[in-house]
Amino acid sequence: MKRLLTSSVLLIAALAVLASAPRVQAQDKTTEVPLTAANQAFQPAEVKVKAGQPFVLVVTNNDPKKSIEVENKDLRIEKVVPAGKTVKIRVRGLKPGSYVFVDDFNQSAKFKVVAE
Amino acid sequence: MGATFVVVLREGFEAALLLGIVYAYLAQIGHAESRRYVTLGGALAVLASVVMGIAVSVLSGPLADVGPDLIALAVIFGAVVLLTWHGWWMGRHARELRGELQRRVDAAHASQQLWMVGLIAFTGVFREGAETVLFLWGLMTQLQDVSGWTALAGGAAGLVTAAVLGWLVFQGGRRLSVQRFFGVTSLLILFLAAGLFSAGIGRLQGIGVLPGGDPLWDTSWLLDDHGGVGGFLAGLIGYRARPSALEVAGYVVYLAAASLLFFPGLYGRGTHRNGDVIEPAQTSRA
Repeated sequence: MKRLLTSSVLLIAALAVLASAPRVQAQDKTTEVPLTAANQAFQPAEVKVKAGQPFVLVVTNNDPKKSIEVENKDLRIEKVVPAGKTVKIRVRGLKPGSYVFVDDFNQSAKFKVVAE
Repeated sequence: MGATFVVVLREGFEAALLLGIVYAYLAQIGHAESRRYVTLGGALAVLASVVMGIAVSVLSGPLADVGPDLIALAVIFGAVVLLTWHGWWMGRHARELRGELQRRVDAAHASQQLWMVGLIAFTGVFREGAETVLFLWGLMTQLQDVSGWTALAGGAAGLVTAAVLGWLVFQGGRRLSVQRFFGVTSLLILFLAAGLFSAGIGRLQGIGVLPGGDPLWDTSWLLDDHGGVGGFLAGLIGYRARPSALEVAGYVVYLAAASLLFFPGLYGRGTHRNGDVIEPAQTSRA
């Protein structure tokens, strides 16, 4: 039982390293795409990124009270941006096309990422 | 109101399902008095969710950017490990239970499991807990107007509905025969854990840690995974309308490897020391 516990702790630690290492390396190179959320909408409503290039969405939630959850199910992204906070969301390189992100807590708020 | 109902129900459904299963499991192995471990695990998870909700609201910088991803991944893969172990344990003891219909699992064996069912309850509730806390908190800050109250009522109704579903699972599970219960839950946990494993891979691809991520196929025309039946299946067995190659591979590999652990007689000679044959057909019929 102890061994399983130890190995699961190790697994989690390994995942933590795995998840954080490329992030640190890539930080300088990746493009940051700023967005703000307020009044149940995103500004700008459409952003362009280079196809195939990973990028970082820098989402600022200007609502003083309501948290939002930036989500794109197909890209397996769901990330909470608490009220009044800015959160960076890493996105992998995308095939050319447009990708709609929604606020999962308020589905009418959305923005589009166009990869070209 | 409808929207907040759906959000909370969706976040709460998986937690309720797992709680229903582990409560029923304790009743089945004759350790109903150990429910407090599960209740404690669930309660600690609610507490941890509130703490996490506060933490992400207060913290900023790299910790707030990376922290939630790491915790989410740790919880997902932690849950996979726990569920796998639980399924393996049930598979190993299924044949002991086979002898006499209502024979109770050896107390020593069972007590080894108790902290684990507590942990399963914890991961189940904590997985979507912090998000739900933040969501409900956002609703509660809007109570100045009527729409705020109806939204909150929707959220509360979602939570209650999830709890009722969990309770139905518990009641249903408790009434099954021991073997049937073990068979059904082994199968359920097998697919649930496969879905979680695949979801963890998907998230690693989402943040670019694992390569790839483009969909291998698209069945959204047939069954969308965003809501309704597809969303329900997404939570239950990890259904994805547009899975990546790595997600599919992870799902299949997990299913193959874990079913060996869960159903020891499945691929082997089918016989055990005591001559008992484990029939997978029986469990799938159940």
